[in-house]
Amino acid sequence: MIYLDHAAATPVLPAALKAMTPYFTEQFFNPSAPYLPAKRVREAYQAAKDTIAHTIGAKGADLIITAGATESINLAFTACHHRALVLATEHAAVLAAAAPHHATLIPVTRTGLIDLAAFRKLLTDEIDFVSVSLANNELGTIQPLAEISALVRAARADRLAHGLTTPLYLHSDASQALSLLDLNVARLGVDLLTINAAKCGGPKGVGALYQAHGVPLQALTLGGGQERGLRSGTENVPGVIGFAVATADAKRHLGTHRKLYQTLNARFRQALTRELAALGLPAPLLLGHPKHQLANFCPVSFPGLDAERLIYRLEAQEIYLSTGAACAANKGTKSHVLTAIGLSDSEIAGSLRLSFGAANTLDQAEPAAQALAAAVAAEAARQQCTTPTSAQSATPAASTARQESRHA
Amino acid sequence: MPKRVFLGMSGGVDSSVSALLLRDQGYDVTGVYMKNWSEDLPGMHCPWAEDLADAKRVAVQLDLDFDVWDFEQAYKQKVVDYMLDEFRRGRTPNPDIMCNQEIKFKLFYERALAAGADYIATGHYARADGSHLRLAADANKDQTYFLYRMSLAATARTLFPVGDLKKPAVKALAAARGLDVAHKKESMGVCFVGEVGMKDFLQHYLPAQPGEIRELETDRVLGHHDGAIFYTLGQRHGLYLGGGLPYYVVKKDLSRNLLYVSRNLNAANLWTDTLELEDLFLREPLPNLPASTSSTAPTAAAPVSVRLRHRAPLIPATFDGHALHFSQPIKRPAAGQSAVLYSDDLCLGGGIIAES
Repeated sequence: MIYLDHAAATPVLPAALKAMTPYFTEQFFNPSAPYLPAKRVREAYQAAKDTIAHTIGAKGADLIITAGATESINLAFTACHHRALVLATEHAAVLAAAAPHHATLIPVTRTGLIDLAAFRKLLTDEIDFVSVSLANNELGTIQPLAEISALVRAARADRLAHGLTTPLYLHSDASQALSLLDLNVARLGVDLLTINAAKCGGPKGVGALYQAHGVPLQALTLGGGQERGLRSGTENVPGVIGFAVATADAKRHLGTHRKLYQTLNARFRQALTRELAALGLPAPLLLGHPKHQLANFCPVSFPGLDAERLIYRLEAQEIYLSTGAACAANKGTKSHVLTAIGLSDSEIAGSLRLSFGAANTLDQAEPAAQALAAAVAAEAARQQCTTPTSAQSATPAASTARQESRHA
Repeated sequence: MPKRVFLGMSGGVDSSVSALLLRDQGYDVTGVYMKNWSEDLPGMHCPWAEDLADAKRVAVQLDLDFDVWDFEQAYKQKVVDYMLDEFRRGRTPNPDIMCNQEIKFKLFYERALAAGADYIATGHYARADGSHLRLAADANKDQTYFLYRMSLAATARTLFPVGDLKKPAVKALAAARGLDVAHKKESMGVCFVGEVGMKDFLQHYLPAQPGEIRELETDRVLGHHDGAIFYTLGQRHGLYLGGGLPYYVVKKDLSRNLLYVSRNLNAANLWTDTLELEDLFLREPLPNLPASTSSTAPTAAAPVSVRLRHRAPLIPATFDGHALHFSQPIKRPAAGQSAVLYSDDLCLGGGIIAES
C-alpha cells in the first residue's frame, strides 16, 4: 500500500495509541468523580491539555476540547454577532458556520494566497469576525497570517480612534498545519485557533479551540459545565491523551518530518514529470503556491482527464490518493477551492490531491509516480480513442462535457 | 465495428456483472449512472453518491466509458408525482414499474439511441427475445413484474445480460473477477425509499389527517390513524390497536377518512375471485383471444398465469380482456398494484388493478 492522502486522515501514532489504551480500561474513571482514582484521571487529562496547548504557545486553560475541527470552528463563530469575512477557499465547515453571519468571501490569487488588498478593502467597520485558514486543505497554500493579523490589529486601533466599540476577532483553522508548521498563537496573532488530532497522528473525533482571553464564546453544548461551561459532556480522556502524545511528537520531529516530506515530494514530482515525458505526455499542472505550501502537499491537475477514474485505477494497485477534499469527492459537486483560484472546469475535473506523511517512506516516490503516470497515459489514450459518435462527445469540449454532466 | 451498448449501472452487483459480461462478449460498452433521486429525507439516507462511486469504480476496473445522466426532474414528475397522486386517491401504486416505463426504458433508451447506441442494457433479471419479454432463468429473482410496461420497441433493443444466470452465479462471477460490489448488500423495495420507509416518505409530502379506525363488523371505534391514504388493504402492521389477534385493514372510506379493520381473515373484502384491470398494457395477442381486446367484448377467456406481486408465485386464471377470473378466491391485492400475465415463460403484459 502507498497511502498518499494524509490530508484526509493520518494513522494513529503507535505511541499515542499505547498511551490511550489504559484510559479505556483500568483508568476509565469519570474525571469529575470525587474519589482518588478519578482525580488521577483528571490530572492526566489536564496535563494532556497543557501538552497540546504548549505546542501552540498557550496554556491548557486556554483550550476548549471538542469533537474535532468542525465543532471547534462552529464554536469559534459564536463570537461573531455582526458580519464575518472568510477566505473564499475555507473548508466547508467554515463556510457553513459563516453563512448565518452574512459572510463576505475574501478572494484569493491563482496560487490560493489571500488577496491582501481586497481584504483591506473588505475589512469595514461592521465586520466583527475574520476567519482565514492557516493552510488550505486542498492546495496546502499557507496564508500570511501575521500580515493578516497586523491588518486586523490596525483596524481595531482605527476603530478605537473613531470611538467605535465593534469588536474584531481573528480565527484561523489550522487543522492541516499542526504537524507541519511551528504554530504559536502569539506570533500568528490570532484570537481563536482551531486544531485537530486526526491530521497529526492522533485519534479521530478530538479537536480543540484556542481562545484568547477576552474573546466571548457561547456554549453550543449545554450540560454539566465541563470545559469552563463552553463544551459540556464527560471528557474524552483517551482521545485527549492520544492528541497530546501526537502533538508533542509532531512538534519534536517537526524539522526532520518536514525535510523528509520535502525530499519525498521533490522526488515524486521529478519522477512524475520524467515518467510522463517518457510516455510522451506533458507535465501536470502544479497547483497551489510554489513556496508558501505545506511541505507534504502535492496538488496537481491533468486537464481533460477525469481524476476519479485515475483514483480508481491507482486504487487497484493499492495506491490511495484523493480529489480535492475527501468530503467533496463523488458528490458531483465542483470544488469551491479550485473554482476560487480560477481553474477551468476541465482543470478542476482532472485535479488530484496527494499528501505525504507518516505512512510514507522515501522509496515510495518512484513507484507512486510510475503508477500515476501509467494511469494518466491509460486514461489519455482511452479519451483519444473514444469515437465521437455519441451526442455527448460530439463537441470539441468532449472530455469536459463528459465530466460536467454530473455537475449539471 | 463492435456494437455499442449503453448499460445502466446502479452500483449494484447485477449491473456490474452485466458490464463485465457485455465487455467479455465484445460489445463497446458505456456505463451510465442514472441519477434519479438524491435527496435525503428524515431517517433515510439516499446513497446515490456511494452507488455512483461503486458504479464508476467497476467501469474503470473494466476500462469502460462512464457517464452520469441526470433524470431527477423527470423522475420527480413521472414517478414521484404519479405515486403521490395515486396514494392521494387511496390507491397503492408501484413506482418501480413506472420508473421502468418512463425513465429507464423511455428517457434513458431514447437518449442512448441519440448517442449512437445499438442496444441498451440493464442488470434486470429478465429475458428479451426480440420484442418479447420472457421470465428470467432465475425464477426466484425474475423481475419481469416490474418490466411488463416497457415498450416493445425498447424491448427489441434491450439486453439483459444476467437474465440467463442465477443470482448465486452472478455473485460468484463478481467475486471471481474482483469486483468490490460482489458483497454489496442488496437494495430492496422502492429504490429511493428503502424497504420500510414508504409511509415515512409519504408523510414527508402528504399532510397527516387523523381519523378513526373502526371494526368492520361492529362499527366500533378501535383507535385512530393519521391518514387513511397511508394504509393499504390487507395491511396489519402499524395500526397500533394493541395485542391479541391481529387486525387487518379491510376497507378504506376516503370520503370520511375512515379505516375499517377486521380480525376475520375471511372477511369478504379481503378475498375475491375476480380482479378488474384498467390501463392495460398488452405485449402479446392473448391465447384464444383476438389481438385487439379493448374494443370488442371477447367471447372467450384466455387461460393465463398471473403474478400479483414481485416474486409472488404464478397462479392460474383466465382473462377476458377486462378482468381476471380465478377458480378459487385469492387475497385481494390493493388497487393501483399491477397484475402481470404470462403464458409459460412469455410475459403477455398486464394491467393496473382497479377498485373493487
